[in-house]
Amino acid sequence: MDGIHDLGGRQGFGPVDVHEPEEPFHAPWEGRVLGMVRAMTRPTDWNIDWFRNCRELIEPVDYLTRPYYDQWLQAYAAMLANSGFATVEELASGKATSRPDGLPTPMSAADVTKAKQAPRNFQREIDRAPAFAPGDTVRAISHGNAGHTRLPAYARGRRGWIESYHGAHVFPDASARGDERAEPLYTVGFAATELWPDARGGQDHVFLDLWESYLERI
Amino acid sequence: MTKHDPDAIAHIHEELHSHLPSEPALRVKALESLLVEKGLLDSSAVDAWIDVYSEEIGPKTGARIVARAWVDPDFKARLLDDAKAALKELDLDGNHLKAVENTDTIHNLVVCTLCSCYPLWLLGIPPNWYKTAAYRSRAVRDPRGVLEEFGVALADDIPIRVWDSTAELRYLVVPQRPQGTEDWDEKRLAKLVTRNSMIGTERDLSRHIAEAR
Repeated sequence: MDGIHDLGGRQGFGPVDVHEPEEPFHAPWEGRVLGMVRAMTRPTDWNIDWFRNCRELIEPVDYLTRPYYDQWLQAYAAMLANSGFATVEELASGKATSRPDGLPTPMSAADVTKAKQAPRNFQREIDRAPAFAPGDTVRAISHGNAGHTRLPAYARGRRGWIESYHGAHVFPDASARGDERAEPLYTVGFAATELWPDARGGQDHVFLDLWESYLERI
Repeated sequence: MTKHDPDAIAHIHEELHSHLPSEPALRVKALESLLVEKGLLDSSAVDAWIDVYSEEIGPKTGARIVARAWVDPDFKARLLDDAKAALKELDLDGNHLKAVENTDTIHNLVVCTLCSCYPLWLLGIPPNWYKTAAYRSRAVRDPRGVLEEFGVALADDIPIRVWDSTAELRYLVVPQRPQGTEDWDEKRLAKLVTRNSMIGTERDLSRHIAEAR
């Protein structure tokens, strides 16, 4: 989707605030949001791509102005309401009017030790060969998926080359709709001047990790 | 069953915007009370996760990897070629990790323009600037300007490779080992390696030599 989250190359955001406290959390509530997200019982049909999509759908003014973990809170609150785990009224008041049935006991402090070691793996076996090989010239498709997608607007329609192939990975555009399937994933290199003709470093490159259906042969 | 419907989520966001408490701390408190009351959350597990992210996970893990790469060229070669296999030697998870090396003729910079992807298990919680619109928008288009703001004066003839973390791959920059540290052991070298140097917003680590002695 052409959302406010797709920030690469947008102008007008000013300098980066390079001076900030080293602490991981800048207010106690920030840590509690992250802790809740890691510890809460959730519908089994949620996944990282659905979460990213729900964060992208935050109202643009909130997306640009609310602190980072507040956006997480907003996204998870919306996901809970959408999945029938809570109502907007309950989320506003903090008081439950019903309890979901048949759910397991929530993660305990003791369970955290095991959960933190759970490996993350998004690679899957598929029964077809990749369409591209390192060195191939490709062009990113001109139109992104209307839903969640990981092809940034700034790369669309631009010409690059296959830098490396990573096997098949879960395809976010489908996964965000609850449909898990995998597609070949590549790192694709683009000359900075191909992306932005006025780029200051004539020899600079930008690399993106792109799924096969985001690319066409040229 | 979740209906993965973006229109429904957009509508709920509007409602939440109007109905939730105006202060983030109050919104968070309401959510935690609600989840506990519904039997979806145990607050002691939240405390345990906060400890994990505050005390255990942090840039010292990444620094350990970099220091090993500095003292062991074979390990560095394996790290750059196949980070998963190399990190296994250190009993660390390197799945989906790509290590990229700064040299005299290359500088690497990592960003996530679409959200906030970051090798959290090796570097800890990402700094706030990494998640800001300013960094996300400019790191790909004006990396030299961004580096200048971080105090990195990069010669025009040193190309930059910007890595936009658009999938589940995560990037770790291996910064250059400063001169004058030839007789340092791995543990001491690790003290030189800053979080920013492993993202690519710091380049010359020699200014930390005095403090790492």
